[in-house]
Amino acid sequence: MALKADIKILVVDDMSTMRKIIKNMLGQIGFTNITEADDGATAWPMIQNAIKEGNPYEFIVSDWNMPQMSGLDLLKNVRSTSGLEKLPFLMITAEAEQGNVVIAVKAGVSNFIVKPFSAAVLKEKIDKIFK
Amino acid sequence: MSTENNFIDFSRPFVDACKNIFLTMASCTLSPKKPEIKKETTSRGDITAFIGLSGELDKGDKKSPYKAMLVISFPYETYFKIASKMLSETYTTYHPDIHDMGGELVNMIMGNAKRDLKTLGYSSNMAIPSIIEGKNHSITYPAGTTIVVIPFDSEMGPIYMELCYSTVE
Repeated sequence: MALKADIKILVVDDMSTMRKIIKNMLGQIGFTNITEADDGATAWPMIQNAIKEGNPYEFIVSDWNMPQMSGLDLLKNVRSTSGLEKLPFLMITAEAEQGNVVIAVKAGVSNFIVKPFSAAVLKEKIDKIFK
Repeated sequence: MSTENNFIDFSRPFVDACKNIFLTMASCTLSPKKPEIKKETTSRGDITAFIGLSGELDKGDKKSPYKAMLVISFPYETYFKIASKMLSETYTTYHPDIHDMGGELVNMIMGNAKRDLKTLGYSSNMAIPSIIEGKNHSITYPAGTTIVVIPFDSEMGPIYMELCYSTVE
C-alpha cells in the first residue's frame, strides 16, 4: 500500500453494522488508525476537536443518509472550514441515482461509492482519491 | 394499467437488487422461487426488516400516487450466517451488534431498486428502515395493499422478500 497504514481515518455511519463492515474492509486494505462516529452530528465535533488537538483526521468516510446530520451537511461543514477544503472525503450512499453524484460533486466530495461494494471497490476509490 | 400489472413491473427491480446486494455483501447467491400472494400478517422468518416507499407512477398521460413496502424476513439461522459472513465474526445468537444489519440490507435494496424504478416512471421517497425480532411476530402492512411473497433459496438458508404495493386512488 502506497499510503501510510496509520493515516487517521474517521468512519461515519448511523448503522453499527455498516461501520463494522467499512472498518473491516479498511483493515483488509491495510489501514490501522480508524475511529468511528454514529452520525454527522457526532462526527463534526470530533473533526473540530482533532484539529484543536493538533492531530486532525486525514480521511473521512461517511454515509449520506443519517438522522441528525447527513453526510452531505457534514461535507459542507468540512469544506467551509479553513484548512479542511482539501480533506479527502469519501461519500457512501445506498441510493444509486445519478442526481446524488452531481449534488455530492458540487459540494466538493473527493469520491463517491454506492452500496453494495466490496473491499476491492473501496480500495480503488481510495487509490483514486490519494493518487 | 391495473395495479396487478404495475406490481409485476414494480417487483423486478427489487428482485434484481436483492440478488445483487446479498451476492456483493455476503457472497450469498439467491435463487428466487415462485411468488405467492400473502393473506396473513404473521412473518415467515424470525427477524424482519422493512422499509416504506411512496411516490408517483408517471405513465405520460396520467400520474398515479402509490404506496409500497419492502420486507425481508430471515429465519434466525439464515440471519446469523449472513451476519457472520458480512461482519467476519461468528454469530450463533441474536446480538445487538447485528440488530441493524437487516435494516441496512433493506436500505441498500431499496436504494438500488429506486434507480431502476425511476426508468419505469416511478418517483420514490424512501422511509427509515425498521426491524422486528421474535418467533411468529406480526407485520403491520399498509392498508389496502396487495402483499406478494417472493421466497429465495440460498446456501445460507431461506430468505423471504415481501412487497406490498397499491396505487392510491
